[in-house]
Amino acid sequence: MMATQLPPKVLEAIKEGLSKVDWEGFDKSKVDALIAEILGKVDAVQLHYLENCVGCAACAPACPYYVVGEEYGPVEKAEHARHMYRKEATILGKLLGPLLNAKKPSKAEHLDMLVELVYRCTNCGACYVNCPFGIDSGALIKGLLAPLVSRAGRIPVLMAVFEAAERKRVFMDIPALRQIWQDVMAKAEQALGKPLPYDKEGADYYLMVNLADAMFYPGAVIGAMRILDKAGVNWTLPKEPLAFRPPIGAVVGFGDSAREVMSFVNESIEKLRPKNVVVLDGGFVYPWMRFQLPKVLGRRPSYKVLHITELVVQLLREGRIKLRRTDDPVTWHDPCQLGRRAGVTKEPVEALRAASSGFRLLPHHGAESYCCGGGGGIGCLSMQMIEMMAKLMGVDSSMLLSGEKEKEFILKTQEAWSIAVKRKIDDVKKSGAKTVVTACPVCMHSIEGGAKLYGLDIKVVHFAEYIAERLE
Amino acid sequence: MVEPLGGSAGDIYSFAVYRFFWVALAIFVFGSVYRLSKLVLRWRRVVKAEPRRRGAGAAIVGLIRTFLDPIIFSIKTKPYDFLAGMVALHLLGVIPLIFLLAHHVVFFAYWFPPYRLIAEKGIWIPLSMTTSTLEITSPIYPASTHFTETIWGPLVVILNGDLLALLAILGVTFKLGVKVMEQAHGLQHVRWSDYFSLGLLLFILVTGYAAARHHPLTDSTTLDVAQYRTLLGLHILGAEILLAITPFSKFWHFVFGYWYGKLHEWYDVRLQKGLV
Repeated sequence: MMATQLPPKVLEAIKEGLSKVDWEGFDKSKVDALIAEILGKVDAVQLHYLENCVGCAACAPACPYYVVGEEYGPVEKAEHARHMYRKEATILGKLLGPLLNAKKPSKAEHLDMLVELVYRCTNCGACYVNCPFGIDSGALIKGLLAPLVSRAGRIPVLMAVFEAAERKRVFMDIPALRQIWQDVMAKAEQALGKPLPYDKEGADYYLMVNLADAMFYPGAVIGAMRILDKAGVNWTLPKEPLAFRPPIGAVVGFGDSAREVMSFVNESIEKLRPKNVVVLDGGFVYPWMRFQLPKVLGRRPSYKVLHITELVVQLLREGRIKLRRTDDPVTWHDPCQLGRRAGVTKEPVEALRAASSGFRLLPHHGAESYCCGGGGGIGCLSMQMIEMMAKLMGVDSSMLLSGEKEKEFILKTQEAWSIAVKRKIDDVKKSGAKTVVTACPVCMHSIEGGAKLYGLDIKVVHFAEYIAERLE
Repeated sequence: MVEPLGGSAGDIYSFAVYRFFWVALAIFVFGSVYRLSKLVLRWRRVVKAEPRRRGAGAAIVGLIRTFLDPIIFSIKTKPYDFLAGMVALHLLGVIPLIFLLAHHVVFFAYWFPPYRLIAEKGIWIPLSMTTSTLEITSPIYPASTHFTETIWGPLVVILNGDLLALLAILGVTFKLGVKVMEQAHGLQHVRWSDYFSLGLLLFILVTGYAAARHHPLTDSTTLDVAQYRTLLGLHILGAEILLAITPFSKFWHFVFGYWYGKLHEWYDVRLQKGLV
């Protein structure tokens, strides 16, 4: 059922998103062409990932989804990319085919299986640092298999719609989403007691607030503004969010979309000439801003990129902010994209130690941190999320599902997540912490959900909110 | 017929030593150039972000952790795989057995004379478990000058060809068993080439062990020289086949894949991203 109250450009984006979805069909020539295109772009590092796996499966226990089934071990999932690579790009694979495990998807069921494997990978990087050969299986699963299945039509409708809405910049035309943004900004203005410094040129710090930040942790958005205000620094923020959660395209493997969105975000920020950009989101947004952006632009951006945890440590060291130290039994969960994938593990710990004498590390932290099981788009694949987003958009939830097959896939994914998250919850339980501080909307959602599921009474708070509450 | 390089090619042994070695070496060199060229041709220049600088100490710790973390992880999560695959097959099997066994040292020194240094410095290890054991059980003093001439002292009780070969055979057999089990579970990452590679290793180990024991397969009470020569020939031929297929198989990890992979990971994760 199409909602009539939505503006035409939103409806157009939804239509465009839906046009990419096909959970039933299988077009062999399209799939073959996609494989040729995707494998044709493989670089030297990906070639190492494809060719140098010896199949020892040492990576398997590192993966949050291995406990769900051994077929979800990283080596096993990535092997499907190797099957295609051997068939497409090696002489012996072309000649000997199945004898050398060289094959390409040949029917709809193969795509169904591949899409399932793609959404049993959070791209957490645990397989990468535990592989004896430095092979990043996530890079093959999310970098080669995800674009294949998504472009072949096996893409969750919710993601297809939001990818189009972000790329076409129509998300703020959805009335309920605009309202959320306006409400958060109004509350922030109230908390600061003065007008917000929107779109100031030449500021020292540009607080990058995306719509997803305002939606999932409004307290952190306001908290970050209070921190910047208290520090007395010259800062600014966008009047309207530049993106929903940039780049959503990367999650589903739409490289062109990711590049387009990141270029737009950068261009908009550079116009204001800030010295630093502060990112709140410790999910994929941070490594994209910090490490992928120069690759997209072909040059380094004109500003430095900091995560809010890095900024807080800097301000604390400079004495620009002070904290009221409490004794909360608190811990830090490393979002995989912020920690293993982007190297920010020390800073949040330093800040939280300054904030509470009751701070304790999780048994598995830093490079060995357990993934929450919700990354890589998996967190969006639940009926609750679909219903919530449908309600916000003012459409029937059936519109965000292509049919029974996709619904079954979502339910199975939800079930798998409920098993995968347990390892994280057990780790939190062992720490004895009552508050888990983190910095990624998906981690927050996943840990909250997991704690509820396994009866652990904890509070999950975004870092910026936690620190702001303890500002002197 | 006397070959240009000496010896005759009338049997497997002579074929392996005087002829096939050069073929295997040529295939190895060609394959290595092919594999490395593929990598170089796929290399793309990209603009990298400013690295997160954590200092030289963090870089060194990062380098150690890059190599060490997977080993620790494996000990914790897959102890049997670690014992069979890492300890028996790699740490004991490959390094001392292939590169330090006295018979191999002499053989390698024939093709590559500077390899004699391993013998001259006493780094080589003995073959026999019996003479090695006498190092600590013999009442004659000093034992080391009588039974084995190595720098390893009493360690030769473990560092001897016989024992290491047995451990390596156990390691390979375990790995083969794991592959069979994984395939029975329907896992996709088991490749037919795994069986070939591990089977070849097992063949090399068993023929090498049998040859070293001068194993009399006949009921003759005297040594059957022809049979010994055949066993040794098969052992060498197997090793040469391994050399030839190295660039096209999982054995490539020893030459390149492992070192490149870990050093790249160190650069990417520890130096560029600054993970500590």
